[in-house]
Order: sequence, then C-alpha cells, then structure tokens
Amino acid sequence: MRELIAMWRNTRMVVFTALTASLYAAILIPFKVLPIIPGVTELRPANAIPVVCSFLFGPAAAWGAAIGNVIGDFFGGFGPGDLFGFVGNFLYGFLPYRTWELLTQRRPVLRGPMDWLLFTAVVGLASGACALVIGWGLNVLGFVPFRVLGNIVWINNMLASMLLAPFLLAVVYPRAERGGLTYGQVLGRRETGRVGLAYVGLGLVVGAVGVGMWLGNGLSSGSVRVPWVGEGVAGGTGAWAVGLGLAPVLVVLLLGMVLL
Amino acid sequence: MKLSIYVVANTPLHRLHPVVKVVGIFCFFVAAFTAGSPIQSLPLAAVVGALLWLGGALANVWRFRWFLALVFFMTFLVWSLFFHSEAPWFAWGPVRLGYDGVRFALATACRLTTFFAVGLLFLSTTRVEEFADALGMIGVPAKLGFVMTLAFRLVPAFVDAALSVVQAQRCRGFDFDRGNWLERVRHYLPVIVPVFIGALRRADLMAMALEARGFQLPGPRTSYRTYAWGWGDAIALVGSVMLAGTWLLWARFAGGN
Repeated sequence: MRELIAMWRNTRMVVFTALTASLYAAILIPFKVLPIIPGVTELRPANAIPVVCSFLFGPAAAWGAAIGNVIGDFFGGFGPGDLFGFVGNFLYGFLPYRTWELLTQRRPVLRGPMDWLLFTAVVGLASGACALVIGWGLNVLGFVPFRVLGNIVWINNMLASMLLAPFLLAVVYPRAERGGLTYGQVLGRRETGRVGLAYVGLGLVVGAVGVGMWLGNGLSSGSVRVPWVGEGVAGGTGAWAVGLGLAPVLVVLLLGMVLL
Repeated sequence: MKLSIYVVANTPLHRLHPVVKVVGIFCFFVAAFTAGSPIQSLPLAAVVGALLWLGGALANVWRFRWFLALVFFMTFLVWSLFFHSEAPWFAWGPVRLGYDGVRFALATACRLTTFFAVGLLFLSTTRVEEFADALGMIGVPAKLGFVMTLAFRLVPAFVDAALSVVQAQRCRGFDFDRGNWLERVRHYLPVIVPVFIGALRRADLMAMALEARGFQLPGPRTSYRTYAWGWGDAIALVGSVMLAGTWLLWARFAGGN
C-alpha cells in the first residue's frame, strides 16, 4: 500500500492519475443520460476504465478512479454521497492490479481459461469492495437502501469490466508496455519482503467483501440481525442497522487494504 | 454536450472566497440532511432557489429539470417500496407499502433534490480551479488539487478526440445509429481504443512539461490566482453557519435526522 503515497513523487504517475480521472469522467458524463437510480448511479460502461487503468498505471489508477468519479458527478449528482463514491472508486482502482500481481506473474492480457478465471475473481472482488462502501454510505445517509444500490453497483461494475476491460487490455497493454508506460516500468519492481502479510491482507479483503455483501443485503432487508445492533435501532430505513452492523466488516476491509 | 456547469458572471456569489463557498456548501448539506420532513425541506429549497437566482444559475436548473424531477420521483418510488413500514397497506416479499414509508419517501425525495440543487448552485458559481484552491487552503495536498484541475481540463480534449474518431468512422460509411439502443451504445465502445492510445502518447509529453516547470520542487507553490477576504465573505460565512444551526435546532426540537 506504500506505493499509493510514494507515487506522488513521480511526475509520470501524477500524469497517469490525471489521465485515468479524465478518461473515466469523459466516458461517465455522456452516460449520465441513462440513469438506473437518478442522481445516484447510471448505466456505466466507463466502469471498465478503472480496471484497465489499474493494470496499466497501478496506484495512479486508484487515485484517478476516485477523482474521476467526483468529476463525473460534477455533471449530475454532486452531493455528500461523493465522499463514499471517492472511497469506493479508490478501492475499485486499487484492488485489481494489487490482487493480480500478488496471485500471478502473468501479464493481464487474457489468453486461457485460468487467466479468465483469475480476472473474474479479481474484478468481482474489486466490484464488491466498491459496492460495499458505496452501498453502506448511501444507506447510512438514508438515500438508497443497501439491497438496492449495493447490488446495482456490484453488477454494474462487474458487467462493464467483464465485457470491455479484457478487450481494451488486449489492445492497450502491449502498446503501453512497449512505450515503457506501465506502472511496473515507471516505479520499478516493488519490494517482496511483506508478501506473507499481503496474503493475510488479501484474505481479510476477500472475507470482508463476501461477508459484507451478504450481511448488507440481510441487514437492509431486515432478514438478518447482528448481536451488536440492538432491536431498538432497526428503524424503517435500516440506516442504523446497516451502519452499525457493517461497521466491523468495513474495519476489517480497511485493515486488509493496509496489509495488501 | 456543454462540458461545464459554471456560469460566467460577476454576481456576489461568484465573487465569494472559495473557502467560504466550500464551507457554505457544507453548511447547506448539513441543513438539507437534518430536514426530516417536506415542511423542513421546503424553506431550505426556497433559500437555495433564491441563491440560484442571485447566482444567475436558473438556466442550469432548467437544463437539469428532468434530472431533478427524476431524482425526486425515483427516490420517492424506491423508499415508498423498500421502507420497512410497520403497518403496511400492501406487502409482497421485500416490498412493504405503508403510510410511514410514503411519508419518509416524500421527505427523502425533497431532501435529495435539495442536495442536488445545492450542488448545482456551487458548481454554477465556482470554477474547478477555485475548488482545487479551496481544498489546498483547507489542507488537501496541492498535487491532488492539481490533478483534479488537470483531469477536468483534459475531459473536453478526450471528448473531442472521441468525436473526431466518430466522424472519421462515419466518413468511412459506418452507421453508429443502426440497431436498437443497446447496439448503438455498443457501436461507440470501440471508439475508446484510439482515445486511450492518444492519451498514452500524451502522458510522456505532459510529464516532461511538468518537470520542466519544476513540478516536483519542494517549497510553497505560487499561483496567478489570489483571493482576498471581504465583508461579503464574512456575512456569507456567518449566514451559512447560522442556517445550518437553525436547521439543526429545528430538527432537534421538531423531529428530523
């Protein structure tokens, strides 16, 4: 996770951040006219961009996805929910490259079934982490129930990434590599001393996303109760139940992120 | 598509210090968030409406009228159906339609629409550079603010590049408007590839241009933009804080969030 801070000392990485943000926003904005939940989310083919940029630009894509989402909201939907959009999209840009490089040495150009399986798992994890944070935050604010938004964000991210990202990566990644423009070439090889801890972090993230999505849906619909949320705080919106019920899961997600 | 919401004008709202605008929008968000009923939301909406008029931003309200109407309608629909109503008129699976749900849905729809109107007011009267400067003044690292302004400025360049590719493909006889809406969306997707490659080509040149201007040098940054505090800023700041305080007290004593 250290590279997320260190990259700001490299001018190329700063430029990659701006490129990711602007590409993401440039494709988000035209699709604002096709809303799924107006003001909250829309049909987002642009969601393939953070995944593609994550494999190309690494940590720069995490910051770029977060900033790009805010810029996209400048054209329809700017509000307090943007804070959670920022964090959710940050995770969506951070997890693909970090998980992939931890699990395999292969280039992210999909050639066989194993590549596709790994790619699906990585994208599913990143989409889930993004959906968990945004779904939680907007339910806590009382805007949209988790069981509506969390699932829409997860499916929206998965669909866009699975349909578009492999195709884009196949075309763009070899060209970026030839030009010496991938994050590995710009930042150099990362240190490998903390690989064991990184695997623990990955386990925590996977657990938090899996449990969080299940628990969020259950708490939001009222079909699941957790002992640390009392009967009296359920409420009609499920804001307190989802807010307090998912809080420990989000702490685990954060811890996993730090270790990654 | 017009790629900016900012209204070029010299109104009192445009002239406010960027930090006052950011604190002001935060205060309005707090007030909108605490409003627990349409009775609490409507006076706030009226204040925001008056400020939109003062900031010359009513044209943007008209531009986004369908968006605001959809936000209101969809929020009302979602919460009417999914609120855990205690005495539902109708229940089917996760759907529980009842009086308390409809009441909450109406309050939330008013609140969310007010949120977006406040956002529209802010974006109509604040340039992205002012926003980035304000973030810098309240402690956000300068490089983050710089990336935000650079990315914002690059968006029209990428949209232009995409439009050029579309025009080139049209000249070759490709029909982007063929098929149903999903097929039409699909026709536009390959346009992303040349835009992406073009962006990669720019990256190196931009990095060199930045370094040539001492981007990574330590020390405080200077800017052509300077801001001065005035009486208008003090009045706006006190007014915003008082507004948030009033709505907090109203919610505390009359029921709200």
